[in-house]
Amino acid sequence: MKDQAIVMLEDASKYYRQGQMEVRAVDGLSFEIHKGDFAALCGPSGSGKTTVLNLIGGLDVPTGGKVYLEGQDIGVMSRSRLSAIRRDRIGFVFQAYNLIPVMTAYENAAFVLTLQGIPDHECHKRVMSILKEVGLEGLEHRRPDEMSGGQQQRVAIARAIVTQPAIVLADEPTANVDSANADSLLRLMERLNHESGITFLFSTHDQRVIDRAHRIIRLHDGKMESDEVFS
Amino acid sequence: MKIRKMAWRNLWRRKRRTYITALSIGFGVLLSVTFIGIADDSYTKMINTSAVMGLGHVTIEPKGYNETPSLDKRLGDTKEIAEKILQMEDINDALTRIMGQAMIASANKSIGGAFMAIDPGRETGDSNLFIRSIVEGHLFSETDGQGVLVGTRVAKKLNLSIGKKLVYTTTDVNGEIVSEIARVTGIFETGVSEVDGAMILLPIDRIRTVLSYKPEEASLISVVVEDQRRSADMRNMILRGLNDPVLEVLSWRETQSDLSSIISLDKAGNRIIIILIGLLIAAGILNTLLMSVMERTREFGIMMAIGMSPSTLFRLVIMESIWLAILGLILGIIITIPWYAFMYYHGIDFTGMIGSDYSASGVIIDPVVKIRLFRESAAWILTGLFTLTILSGIYPAWRAGHVPPVESLKEL
Repeated sequence: MKDQAIVMLEDASKYYRQGQMEVRAVDGLSFEIHKGDFAALCGPSGSGKTTVLNLIGGLDVPTGGKVYLEGQDIGVMSRSRLSAIRRDRIGFVFQAYNLIPVMTAYENAAFVLTLQGIPDHECHKRVMSILKEVGLEGLEHRRPDEMSGGQQQRVAIARAIVTQPAIVLADEPTANVDSANADSLLRLMERLNHESGITFLFSTHDQRVIDRAHRIIRLHDGKMESDEVFS
Repeated sequence: MKIRKMAWRNLWRRKRRTYITALSIGFGVLLSVTFIGIADDSYTKMINTSAVMGLGHVTIEPKGYNETPSLDKRLGDTKEIAEKILQMEDINDALTRIMGQAMIASANKSIGGAFMAIDPGRETGDSNLFIRSIVEGHLFSETDGQGVLVGTRVAKKLNLSIGKKLVYTTTDVNGEIVSEIARVTGIFETGVSEVDGAMILLPIDRIRTVLSYKPEEASLISVVVEDQRRSADMRNMILRGLNDPVLEVLSWRETQSDLSSIISLDKAGNRIIIILIGLLIAAGILNTLLMSVMERTREFGIMMAIGMSPSTLFRLVIMESIWLAILGLILGIIITIPWYAFMYYHGIDFTGMIGSDYSASGVIIDPVVKIRLFRESAAWILTGLFTLTILSGIYPAWRAGHVPPVESLKEL
């Protein structure tokens, strides 16, 4: 399962200017993420975790080096191509759920499929199946403000995986939920990784996430400190 | 979820703001309908009144008559021409007339004036304002060759009343001075002092004899059309239908150039007001949409992060402005209907402000201001405001799609 590199960073860097100062958010980082990985980027605040996710997700472009997604160089892609890549090949799970407030759970989960132009009946089949899988059966008509934090994050996960992306990038996915919900969400993502082979890359401080990750990439000041793989 | 459904729901996130913005568009509809409706109504009344004061919406006359009217310039075969015109579509009337200057005298006084000779058997109040404005007596009959209709001020100046005689003196086709006696059968009052103080109406057959005209000769044929807006089209149709190089066919814009200029000037002023109203409304809509976009910057970042393209995001915000426009126009129609009904049927009477002489360029102006909106004006208002709302949405929509997702995601 792990022979194919979905993500490859080659000496990737991201520098910002803050007044007269140059901030090296990511500094010459190189690693690969393979299909089926359940990996965590960890490190203190400001270590560059979110920036790395943004680079891999095509939300930001590297200042130096290369970032490849499924063999394609993200740094040279147009805005519309990046949009298409994010839509079709990447699933995002954010810290603050970030569901669209005017949409129901079903509509949020179906949103990306609609952008892909998937026919309604096919979309319905896939969304209902995913909502069942993430334990939200019967809640599909609820809007975000009618759901708990844990339920909202499950919708976010459903939205991220419904398109069968190459990788799910999860930025601090357990930061805004209580311990019980955090455990439940992690079990869900582990199961999706184990049973469906979905690749996950987390950025996290959460020890519970780190404990469950099969691979831990530690960052410090934008540089890799360690890269440990657990069987 | 389809973009239009999502845009519709987005509109209701802040109900009060949406209602206020829609109401401002609706108020724009009301103001535009009022300004343009008053103009449509007053221009039509002025043009129609001018038409029934002698020259019609379209005039058929000898070449050069419009530049230098004189009694020696005349049309022949007027009966045949009038019959031909009456067979055309949307023509209400085609009336043969002789018009000229005359000295009008009573037993003890004389004044310079003008006459219009008409066929009493053909003319009615519908096509002749002077007949419509008779305040005393009646129009002379077909057999009464010596009858005359005079304006109130002519009657006053010459001390005339019903049954009294007057003498009019003019020049015939040969340039000879000719005079004739007439007896007052009626007095009219149009409300335009210069008209009431100078105009008399005479029987056309008698005038032909006095001026040595042949039986069917006349100065002009005055054509009254069904819809004044089509005057230019009707002019062209008549021109093609008659196809006579000796004749000149002119619309009211050419024969009543003063009136045409007044209307054009007024229209220009109205346009400026409408543009200012439009700009005010556009500023309101722009503000609403921009605020709505800026407070959703992070949400747009999320949408772009999960794969929505900038162009789809642009379409989403434009769709929101389309819904806002539709909502505003519906609201506008709802609030405008009762106002329109009141102004259409009753109007507002400005007699006290305008005074007793309600005229511009010799044409009576109705002191009761009413609204009558033509279909094309209504379509123009709705299309204009709809377009304006969409245009106001372009910048916010562009902005929504151009904030880099990574920056948008940093927004709280």
